[in-house]
Amino acid sequence: MKFVRQLGISALVLGLGAPFAGSLFRTQPRGLDLDSIARAIDEGTDHVSARQLAEWIRDRRPGLRVIDVRSPAEFRDDAIPTAENVPIDQLTKSHFAPGQTIVLYSQEGAHAGQAWVMLRSLGVTQAVFVPGGLADWHEEVLYPLLPANVSPAERAQIDALSHYFGGAPRIGAEQGSDVASAAMSGQRPRRRGC
Amino acid sequence: MNNLLIAGGIGVAFGCALECAGLGDPPKLARQFYLRDFTVLKVMLSAMLTAMLGAFWGGRLGMFDSAAFYVPDTYLLPQLLGGMVFGLGFVLSGLCPGTSCVALASGRIEGAATMLGLFAGVLLVGLAFPAIEAFYRSTPYGSLTLERLTGLPYGAMVALVTVVAVSVLAWIAKCEAGR
Repeated sequence: MKFVRQLGISALVLGLGAPFAGSLFRTQPRGLDLDSIARAIDEGTDHVSARQLAEWIRDRRPGLRVIDVRSPAEFRDDAIPTAENVPIDQLTKSHFAPGQTIVLYSQEGAHAGQAWVMLRSLGVTQAVFVPGGLADWHEEVLYPLLPANVSPAERAQIDALSHYFGGAPRIGAEQGSDVASAAMSGQRPRRRGC
Repeated sequence: MNNLLIAGGIGVAFGCALECAGLGDPPKLARQFYLRDFTVLKVMLSAMLTAMLGAFWGGRLGMFDSAAFYVPDTYLLPQLLGGMVFGLGFVLSGLCPGTSCVALASGRIEGAATMLGLFAGVLLVGLAFPAIEAFYRSTPYGSLTLERLTGLPYGAMVALVTVVAVSVLAWIAKCEAGR
């Protein structure tokens, strides 16, 4: 009984001492490691293409976590399968386990890029973003435009990936047909880059 | 591979601790719900207390990075319903998932029956998942912690939980001594 009482008293001492122990998280005051950010951008390890992401999702890559940083309304409207919605203002409150591969995306990529920098400043180094965002997902995965001279093997590969996610590749030869078929598939042609 | 070995070691220790506490015995667990045996509450509270204080002070003293801990997301309504189903199963079978493994390992047929039901339930939910996915993902609150919910500093929350847990444990000890 004496031992149990001692245990209880030790727990109380440790518990009551906790409010005076200062901040728990070592990572909170961590600043931006600009060198590693510059290196990641330079080497291209900061981003991943929509098609690569599609292959990761299809192959059920262990620890993959796809995060949509847009608003809940936009997320409900259209999102990449398996994605979870963490709006950009909620991102700093989320927890990310070290073994996870975090893939961020937004509508066209700018917000996802900014979210990537935010996560870096929190010490999350295992994140990447999709540069073209959901728009790239539509153009590269769901409704990719196949050139007329594409090899049968490559075409089968693109076909399979597109069909896996419920899309269908478009066949085109010239620039003009791109716009026409984009209009047919119900999407607006967009300007590249952001 | 190392992680798996560590997980295996922790699992063995956890199973031993549960068996030593007598939690592989369904009638003993069921008696908790009739407030006749407080072993479950004592084991749970002391485990939570030890884990919380260990996680807090370990992080504070730089033994590991507490920010890297994975906190599961809260989905309020589905988890409320899940908790009710879980509680119902717990009191009916006298075992929870962990203790059913312990009961099976110590040769109790109740453990096997509970585990069979457990896997059948998981399979059913998996098969019905397309139908229930909307509910499964409803009322999301992100990784909700007591600290975020109350707005109190982490340390204050640790102190509060400690005081409550130690008080309850002391009260149980007093009640048991009086019997």
